[in-house]
Amino acid sequence: MRNASAVERLVTSLKRLPGIGEKSAARLAYHLLGATDARVEELADAIARVKKETVLCEECFDLTDRSPCEVCRDERRDRRLICVVEEPADLVAIEKSGRYHGVYHVLGGAFAPIDGVGPGELRVAELEARVQAGGIEEVVLATNPNAEGDATAHFLSDRLRPTGVRLTRIAYGMPLGGDLEYADHVTVGICIENRREID
Amino acid sequence: MATLRCEALVLRSVDYSESDRILHLLVPEVGRLTAIAKHARKSVRRFGGTLDLFNRLEVEIARGRGSAMSRLDRARLIHSYAPLRTDPARFALGCYLLEMLDRMAPEGGSRTDVQRLFQFAVGALDWLASHPPNAQVRIFLELRGLDALGVRPELRRCVRCGRDGIEGDVVDFHIPDGGPLCGACAARRGGDRLRVHQGTLRALEQGLDWDLARLDRLVLPPTALGEASRLVSRFQRFHLGVELQSERFLREMLPPPSGRSGAHSQGPAGP
Repeated sequence: MRNASAVERLVTSLKRLPGIGEKSAARLAYHLLGATDARVEELADAIARVKKETVLCEECFDLTDRSPCEVCRDERRDRRLICVVEEPADLVAIEKSGRYHGVYHVLGGAFAPIDGVGPGELRVAELEARVQAGGIEEVVLATNPNAEGDATAHFLSDRLRPTGVRLTRIAYGMPLGGDLEYADHVTVGICIENRREID
Repeated sequence: MATLRCEALVLRSVDYSESDRILHLLVPEVGRLTAIAKHARKSVRRFGGTLDLFNRLEVEIARGRGSAMSRLDRARLIHSYAPLRTDPARFALGCYLLEMLDRMAPEGGSRTDVQRLFQFAVGALDWLASHPPNAQVRIFLELRGLDALGVRPELRRCVRCGRDGIEGDVVDFHIPDGGPLCGACAARRGGDRLRVHQGTLRALEQGLDWDLARLDRLVLPPTALGEASRLVSRFQRFHLGVELQSERFLREMLPPPSGRSGAHSQGPAGP
């Protein structure tokens, strides 16, 4: 049996990435073959460093290259407000909105009973400890608005209610640019229930 | 590809590649079916929030030939079981029942059997959405789910000789045979057995046969609840032959009854 060529090994490695199939892996491999040495080295260096240099923030559990992370170090952030998200990507999405100025808590997922994910697999105890340590006035539960995210949010609200902090859930509704005609009746119903005055 | 237009219940929804989603559906026409929903995670117009767990849908599916995966082309939400999302105990029991169906429902099979399974699933979710769950509800819904899957325990006659009217207040329930043993058969038959009161078996029988709407009128005393819980749990594990992943989560959110009785269990033994 012959040894796999460098290209084959690269295709095999790329295929292991989420969303990359055989064809996409081959396309990326041939693209890299045609790229300059500097570009390829830059990519190889970035891949090698990301694993070595990325750590979890000791306060919010976001991915960072220095703990505490940039958000947790920022003195201008409102520390009375904690926004609970499932994953670092959700934190990035909220940061991009530019409308939130508190700090975060990254849970590490949402309940997924069939995959064996319950409270013990998420950073629930760490969140409770942060709230119990004091100084928190509001916890914004920003888990995804699906069944798993909703169940997780309600579990957290049950656990945090005795602390007396204000508990809020991100709003549900129509996406901007959406079409009522194409929305499901549950979403439309929630939009009607949560209607607000026009200022 | 043949097109199937029918109702479906979402048993599981798994993200796939950058923007797709793979759905495990229970369909009254064909049983369990796996379908890919292309671009489901990106396009809010195509499927919106309809592909969520527990949702009852009207779907249009292009059936894959042979081993090819079917494709979900259209989905309209018929009903969303909102209370199952907002109560962790209901969510846990709902997930447990869905996992049982996802792991055990046939792909294909007789139309009557599959429709019965679908009716069970929808009925159980309807019931859970309108009643607070407890350990007793778990036992009855699990037992009814097993029955719908074609695994019904014998609860009255001796499972070996068929004799009705087994004597004694407490009897041996034979887990592998799936029913109680009369005194004579119990003396001859070894294996995994559980000592239970006949009253517990009667209550389980009622839990299986009564209309779902009447289920909350049936109240088991703590002793019977503990026996019923152990019996159904061991019967399920033996006869389904799988360990359900969601059981640990369910035990956390809805602890099993702690009531113990004078009856005792016997581990597996040779005949």
